[in-house]
Amino acid sequence: MNTLFEQVRSIASDVFGLPANQLTADSSPRNVEAWDSTQHLTFILALEEAFQIRLSPEEIEQAQTLGEAARLVENKTLSQPR
Amino acid sequence: MALSIEPYREQHEAAVREFNRRLIAAGADPNLVFYGHATPQWLPRTSDSGLYNEYFVALSDGVVRGGYALKHQNFYFGDGAVRSVAYYHHPLSEGIVDKTHAVVGSLLLRDAMARAPLLYCLGMGGYDRPLPKMLGKLGWSHWAIPFYFRVVNASRFLREMQALRTSRVRRLLMNLGAITGAGWLGLKSHNAWKAVRKPRLASYESHSIESFAEWTAQLWNDARNQSTFTAVRDFRALKLLYPPEDHLIKLQITKNGHTVGWAVAGERRRDPKFGDMRVGSIVDCWASPEGAVPAIQAATQALIDSGCDLIVSNQSHRLWQQALQICGFLRAESNFIFAAGKQLANHLQPFAANQERIHLTRADGDGLPRNF
Repeated sequence: MNTLFEQVRSIASDVFGLPANQLTADSSPRNVEAWDSTQHLTFILALEEAFQIRLSPEEIEQAQTLGEAARLVENKTLSQPR
Repeated sequence: MALSIEPYREQHEAAVREFNRRLIAAGADPNLVFYGHATPQWLPRTSDSGLYNEYFVALSDGVVRGGYALKHQNFYFGDGAVRSVAYYHHPLSEGIVDKTHAVVGSLLLRDAMARAPLLYCLGMGGYDRPLPKMLGKLGWSHWAIPFYFRVVNASRFLREMQALRTSRVRRLLMNLGAITGAGWLGLKSHNAWKAVRKPRLASYESHSIESFAEWTAQLWNDARNQSTFTAVRDFRALKLLYPPEDHLIKLQITKNGHTVGWAVAGERRRDPKFGDMRVGSIVDCWASPEGAVPAIQAATQALIDSGCDLIVSNQSHRLWQQALQICGFLRAESNFIFAAGKQLANHLQPFAANQERIHLTRADGDGLPRNF
């Protein structure tokens, strides 16, 4: 079963062009070379598309590691009306 | 950087002019600047039209850093429903000349996706460009719509076709072919062979028309079930897309007085990759199954008669691809990419299987009217 983190990591793998097993919860623009401001936004867009959520500008800024991105997605999907 | 994206209004026009000036000053192509007028000159919004353009600008402290356009249009789907779908086009970001604004491009697309849940892109110049790469990463469904060409003037083609002249050896061979007539002979043979194989079309008539009329409605209704996804091509839409004052050739195809198809064709603006050749395009078309070949043949002949050296067309539907091949067109590599956002792609599943019944042409991109 794919956990939410694994799904987020898979998306990051596609966006940053890295094998998923090279990405961890601590992966961030500091230690992932391809993770610049443009790719950060592409990553956000991909998360929004995949999970049908919309992140606020503050949340976009907050998602500075894979772990934080996964937590944000989890909170957003839990708080969505069913 | 606090960026807001909002509808382009008259009050933004001066800032857009400054934006364009900065782009050109930094070396951007002067033909690829943002619209100078807030109100679209082509397909402006009216109270009752489902076919219109909308422009948006990205502002930071009153300075324009980018913009994009949406063309809203009704599309017919395979389930019989008609839905409004938006075409994302003309995105421009200051990031192309100044890396400090690199995120603007992504923010423009994000804004468009929020405004128009059913969204597509078309054209884009090839998979090596930034936008198609980003769309791929976002999980959009996409494929390159087949490109077809027919050489009319073989000698000129062999001399001028820049895209083929990419190596010294190829240039030498093409010049040799042009000088000796071998190239002309080869293409003439191909065209002659195709003519022998073509079905008899004597019972069909082609009529050059200034504008579309009510007869288009019946043809639209009769033929739409051939497609799983197509822009609505009824009388109302065609009146807006092809007004009498445009420079395009419009043809009505009949058999025994009954309309079986139509085609729109025109000469493209000069393009460096075609050298000095006059290039015609079969821009748009619609027909019952029996009308497709006569429509392509009529459009081809009209472009030949107008003096075109080369004729091109992009067609996604199998019916039109077959018609082009029957009329002597050859298929070549395409950079005309169709990409559907996830919500739109959901309506087109199974995507790969449905491709051959999706009807998309050059008319569905941003080529009209600026490419002609």
